[in-house]
Amino acid sequence: MSVVKLQQVSRAFEVGNKPIVALDKLDLTLEEGEFVVLRGASGSGKSTLLNLIGAMDNPDGGEVLIHDQALSTLSDKQKSQLRSHYIGFIFQSFNLIPVLTALENVQYPLSLQKIPDAQAKLRAAEALDQVGLADFIHRRPNQLSGGQMQRVAIARAIVTKPDIILADEPTANLDSETSIQIMDLLGELNVQTGLTFLFATHHDFVLSRASRVLELKDGKIIKDDKLRGLTSVKTKAG
Amino acid sequence: MLKLKLALLNVLRNGRRSFITLLAIQFGVISLILMGGFFASMYEGMRETVIRSQLGHIQIYSEGFNQFGSQQPEEYLISPEVLEQVVKQVEGLEQVALVTPRLNFTGLLTDGSKSLAVIVEGINPDKEALLSSAVKLTQGEDLFDEDIEGALIGEGLFNSLNVEVGASLTLMATTADGSFDARDITATGAISTGTREVDNRFVRMNLKHAQELMYTQGVTRLVVLLNDTEQTDAVMALLQAEFAAKGLALELRSWSNLADYYHEVVNLFDGIFTVVQFIVLAIVLLGIVNTMVMAVMERTPEIGTIRAMGATRFEIISLFVSEAVILGLIGSVLGVVFAILLAQGITASEIMMPTPPGSSQTYPIRIFTSPDLLLKNGLFGLTIAVISSIYPAVKASRMVITQALRFA
Repeated sequence: MSVVKLQQVSRAFEVGNKPIVALDKLDLTLEEGEFVVLRGASGSGKSTLLNLIGAMDNPDGGEVLIHDQALSTLSDKQKSQLRSHYIGFIFQSFNLIPVLTALENVQYPLSLQKIPDAQAKLRAAEALDQVGLADFIHRRPNQLSGGQMQRVAIARAIVTKPDIILADEPTANLDSETSIQIMDLLGELNVQTGLTFLFATHHDFVLSRASRVLELKDGKIIKDDKLRGLTSVKTKAG
Repeated sequence: MLKLKLALLNVLRNGRRSFITLLAIQFGVISLILMGGFFASMYEGMRETVIRSQLGHIQIYSEGFNQFGSQQPEEYLISPEVLEQVVKQVEGLEQVALVTPRLNFTGLLTDGSKSLAVIVEGINPDKEALLSSAVKLTQGEDLFDEDIEGALIGEGLFNSLNVEVGASLTLMATTADGSFDARDITATGAISTGTREVDNRFVRMNLKHAQELMYTQGVTRLVVLLNDTEQTDAVMALLQAEFAAKGLALELRSWSNLADYYHEVVNLFDGIFTVVQFIVLAIVLLGIVNTMVMAVMERTPEIGTIRAMGATRFEIISLFVSEAVILGLIGSVLGVVFAILLAQGITASEIMMPTPPGSSQTYPIRIFTSPDLLLKNGLFGLTIAVISSIYPAVKASRMVITQALRFA
């Protein structure tokens, strides 16, 4: 079953009155449970693709569909609700809210879904436990290491049980060892939860964990390798 | 709950900026409470001075006096029979402190060498002493019932005539039957009513002596003093109904109907207060908007992250408005507390104000802090904080998410 579908999607930007094509009539389908790595040089369109799938940007042409729902038909509020319920984000710089504890950071997306505090707290604690931070729930971001902060960000992304996690260079600010740990964690989560993952990355070591590798160049997919079957062994419902 | 906690933590995260915002709110609240409280005390002082030096709370006349009395005052005097009946009736009301008759006319006062046009008021000295508590005796002695020929001279007039206390003067006037007569009066003292214009032409004398001069037993008006100014309208309505029921051809005027100068001053100062409110509003508004825009700029990536997590534009606006509500509440409460302390300090220090235009008396600064004034200006602080947050909040909510996330 497809989670994301892109049909002839184009996106261009103007840089100093000069149009730069970021995505050029791109077609792409992501299936449920896939662990997809998006590769490509800087400026190849990786981030633009993630922003469009994440309903944070609008294409100049074509259509982005999430669960067969065309994003172009949604209002800003509906896109917010879609992001809240179906998409999780992991950022390169972690983007945690500095005044909140790890638990509160993870709890916050649930509060946006109007889930009662007690229930949200419980789910946030479970998510932090899943990423191995059960003992750090009351620490603020400035009391955590880079790897720990990214684990909190991962917990924040999975706590709403989204359909797809979008990660833009999630290991770029981490050392090699921590990066491997983080990727192992994401791989485990993919297997355990059946979540679909789409990563933009430069790191080659990620490839061994991927079920599919997409390579972008000048706004086009130049390589689409399905390396193995779906890694997930159980569906989200299960 | 977490959203509220985030708003509170955001207020605390940049202590200096929040402190500056709180100072701006407090400045606004304190300024308006002190100014409003000062004006309120001034209004009350003026009102009570007017009531207790000249007008009383209610004046009762023969019907038609206010329309025609200035041309033919003798035709609109209250007769002794009606006077007795009305006094008895009015004095029977529990809200009434006292009722006293007055006979008003104009005349010429002479010391033998020069004559001045004067406004004369025949009074019952004992009762008038209680009613006119705001009239200050500046020289000599007060007037008493037994001083048949005694008179109190307005301070300005007393100085113009250049007479001494105890001096004998002659008062000439057109009598009720149209002839011309004169009586000797003795200047027992000089008085100040608080209004310079009045003090320059005013004479108060014993009612009996005035009635002899005017060849009448009647009076121009009855002046009623109540226990509480707030009861004026209620007592007016009551008396009007009772007079109508008894078929008495009388008309009533409240102090408010008669105090034109008071209303002019109140309108003028209310206008000034409105202008000051706008100035304070602009200063406070600009101060808060400036600090909140800085907060929005600093938190741009955070706003992008929250939007990416699914927050709607409205939720971003709510976050910043909640922060403004917290700042507004704290600022307003502190502003009200400091304003009360300052008001009490200023009132206790009894700083004297310069003599106001048209007045002959100086007075100490007093600042009233009525619950109504405190509440109104406390809410002003809160409201202005919320209004100030709307522009930065809307600006934050309209950020392009991808650009906000890239902002560093």
